[in-house]
Amino acid sequence: MKTKAKKGLVLAYILAGVLFLSGALGTLLLLMPHKMNIVQVLRDDQILYTVYINAEDERFIRIDYGDSYNLLEIKDGKIRVSEAGCPDNTCVKMSWLSSSAPIVCLPNHLVIKFASDYDGIDAVVG
Amino acid sequence: MNKKIRRMTELALLTAIALIIFVVELQIPNLSPVAGVKLGLANIITVYAVYRCKWSEAALMLLARVLLGSFFSSNPSALLYSLSGGTFCLLGMLPLKKIIPINRLWLCSVFGAVLHNLGQLTAASLIMKTAAVWFYLPPLVLSGCIAGALTGLAAQLVIKRTEKIK
Amino acid sequence: MIKKPKWAGVLFVSLLSILLCSCGSESPVYQTGFVAMDTYIALTVYGKSAESAAKAAKEEVMRIESLMSATDPDSEVSKINEMAGETVTISDDTEKVIRAALETGKESGGALDITLRPVITEWGFTTGNYKIPDEETLDNLLEKVDYRSVKVGDNTVFLPFGEQIDLGAAAKGYAGDRAVAVLKENGVESAIISLGGNVQALGAKIGGTSWNIAVNNPFDEGNMCLLKLENASVVTSGNYERYFEGEDGKRYHHIIDPADGYPADNGIVSATITGESGLKCDALSTAVFVMGAEKAEKLWREKGGFEMLLVTEDKRIILTEGLTDVFTNLSDMEVSEIKR
Repeated sequence: MKTKAKKGLVLAYILAGVLFLSGALGTLLLLMPHKMNIVQVLRDDQILYTVYINAEDERFIRIDYGDSYNLLEIKDGKIRVSEAGCPDNTCVKMSWLSSSAPIVCLPNHLVIKFASDYDGIDAVVG
Repeated sequence: MNKKIRRMTELALLTAIALIIFVVELQIPNLSPVAGVKLGLANIITVYAVYRCKWSEAALMLLARVLLGSFFSSNPSALLYSLSGGTFCLLGMLPLKKIIPINRLWLCSVFGAVLHNLGQLTAASLIMKTAAVWFYLPPLVLSGCIAGALTGLAAQLVIKRTEKIK
Repeated sequence: MIKKPKWAGVLFVSLLSILLCSCGSESPVYQTGFVAMDTYIALTVYGKSAESAAKAAKEEVMRIESLMSATDPDSEVSKINEMAGETVTISDDTEKVIRAALETGKESGGALDITLRPVITEWGFTTGNYKIPDEETLDNLLEKVDYRSVKVGDNTVFLPFGEQIDLGAAAKGYAGDRAVAVLKENGVESAIISLGGNVQALGAKIGGTSWNIAVNNPFDEGNMCLLKLENASVVTSGNYERYFEGEDGKRYHHIIDPADGYPADNGIVSATITGESGLKCDALSTAVFVMGAEKAEKLWREKGGFEMLLVTEDKRIILTEGLTDVFTNLSDMEVSEIKR
């Protein structure tokens, strides 16, 4: 019985070591892409979705607003409005979300932006 | 009768200490982008309880600490994260007690802390209805290992100091 | 086993932690965003009364919008347009904005003209029905475009019959000024507001550092440069913000040159103006965009009171010397400085 317990202890040590190493390695790999991991989709002040864009495979989100809609596309760690029912399609023209400005669909009161991950910039003009 | 009261007081004291650690920990800025996920320093008491108390006492203390702790947090889902994390931690450490001796308590604490974080991630993925939070598993496993080792060592030190034997 | 000192220690620590957590739960920063004035407005306010101040500022912005929106039939601007040919009573706010816009019109030699609305409407920028008007129509419409014909008095304005005004080139800047004023009234010393392409900063950031304001790159995705400013207004006008693609495949943007009725094509793709007054900066950014680099430089030398950052169509950045110390280039574009 004593040897069984000792075997168990050794196993426990090995497992802990494996956990530690895989945690360290995994974290290093995660740090490689940029800090912009979280995207918020808001209607006015309300968050509709919080998206971890690097954790997603290809995904589409369709958001309806009255008669109109916005079709969000998430791919390769990026997000954009691929289709929209609004008249001027400014939101579609803005293409993939970049840290410079949120994607906005005014008629549908929709805003897509990176969450409070502070990247050193307080505001953007232009 | 005296013994019972004394025991209850000891447990209450332990719970209070766990609660204090939990509340102080709430002031530490959240390093993880997943809202509500904490380091789980209060589990130092849970680890201690696994080795020095009955499992029922440990479970009771955990429940009391989690419930009382929820009053101090501004985040309502924090209660579920604490509960989930604490439960995973306790359920994992109790069987491990059999193969990890008390003088290697820190090792058990490592597993406890990692399980604590796993519990929190599980709660987060259920609450936010997305599997995307698992993206943060590696750093949480790493911090679990480190936090677990440190709190485990702290608990070991306390046991050494408060008990003349062992 | 349990001694009195231990209990005292526990009590002390628990009192301390309760104290700590009551301090922590008061959030020092309040952020909110909403849609108004045809754009997304984001407010970041610091301080104890941040939330109530931010709400008051939001109400003020909505109030300015209700006065100056050309598309709102109940606004003062709509009233002025409806009653063209008669003298109309207006609020202090509207009077201020019209005066500032007319002054910028004069300083810029007519590059900014608030009576351009019929032309802008013809292009479809107000309705969404975009089209390229023919030259004859534009020439006819331009006959009714002349900012000098607008007469402003004490809370009054006279717009000749057949003319229409639009304060879109200056209203956002004014809204920014008013929002900051309301924040100040509510005891706020540090805040930043972004109204589409306009930014208004109150004070410095908590800790005394300047705000990092990025300028969008007109040619590419991402930021072109950083401006580190305090207590300032920053407004950018660009040809990439609102445009449509014509049947000929060309891009037609919304900043019309009053000289010929076509989208301004004088070598500038992005004009950024910094200064104290959001109202002036907003008006100037449109004027400078239309004027072109040479005339803009002349205006800066003669008038002053603002700094500017221009981006030309051949990918050069032109900076006035007042911005040199606060400018950080994030692009690979060449930078030239204008000194006094």
